[in-house]
Amino acid sequence: MSAALICGTAFAGDGAKLFAEKTCTACHGKDGKTPLMPDYPKIAGQNIKYVEKQMTDIKSGARANGNSAAMKGVMVIVTDAEIKDLAAYVSKMKP
Amino acid sequence: MKKALVVALTLALLPATAALANPNVAEKKSGIEAKGYVWNSQEGGEKIEALKLKGDVKNGKEAYEICGACHLPSGSGRPDGTFPQLAGQHSTVIIKQIADIRAGLRDNPTMYPFAVTLSDAQELADVSAYIQTLCIPREHGMGSTDPVLLKHGEELYKKECTSCHGKTGEGDKSKFYPVLAGQHYKYMLRQVTEIRDGKRRNANPDMVKIVKKYSDHDLDSVVTYMSTLNMPGTLCAVKGAGKKK
Repeated sequence: MSAALICGTAFAGDGAKLFAEKTCTACHGKDGKTPLMPDYPKIAGQNIKYVEKQMTDIKSGARANGNSAAMKGVMVIVTDAEIKDLAAYVSKMKP
Repeated sequence: MKKALVVALTLALLPATAALANPNVAEKKSGIEAKGYVWNSQEGGEKIEALKLKGDVKNGKEAYEICGACHLPSGSGRPDGTFPQLAGQHSTVIIKQIADIRAGLRDNPTMYPFAVTLSDAQELADVSAYIQTLCIPREHGMGSTDPVLLKHGEELYKKECTSCHGKTGEGDKSKFYPVLAGQHYKYMLRQVTEIRDGKRRNANPDMVKIVKKYSDHDLDSVVTYMSTLNMPGTLCAVKGAGKKK
């Protein structure tokens, strides 16, 4: 587990790759601000902590309102370390 | 400000169920759990319309771009079973499944918003026609290599599955029976388990009848065997095939 965390941090530069591979682009758009549905959020430039918390909560089921059901389906392929990397990447995207 | 207050008050006063209404979540249509359920009903709707249309592969390729974000450009989906392999699937099967998800007959909250954003029956026909032209990637998720398990699975498959899904897992386009060859083990295991347990609401009752008696071990065995099926002439050529995993 700790090894995974270390790796996760080491690969923080691969955020763009993760963002595509983990299918984030499908709903939020390649630029993080062209969502598929009008009530899906634009996430580019969002606070890192907020993004991390939402992803964690949707994955665990703590957040199950709104459109979270759609995202929960893909959270099984995102590890905790990857959540951190993705949050960092998203927060740095141009809003 | 005043308007916001009114909205807030209205929301607060609405019963919980009404507040839950979400345009991105399918409204459930009664399926296999309901009495009088007819599998693959031919009564109108997008499915029937799309089936009658001739799919345009070129337009379908364009429309597929959005699908490729999850199912990958090659159509291979993911070995972890999150997303099914689509390449080479019968267009009838794709049309039926997307239409069922869109109609609230097959529950899939992740896929639903994509199914509804397909603009119309023509686009559904186009994208299905395109998917059907794709070669099946060589690599896919497999089950265990335990020969005993595999043997048991082979026996079950040959006894009860071939009449619909075919010896090589080729399915039947005219009957909406899916191609199984090249599909990920984990995806098939999840689906067949859901079919057995009544959770896949658009399932074919004839199939439910067959798998109902299967234990988890039986399902694992038969799906393990299914993951070894190889349909002649449908695999991608070796060189540069399959693209990404």
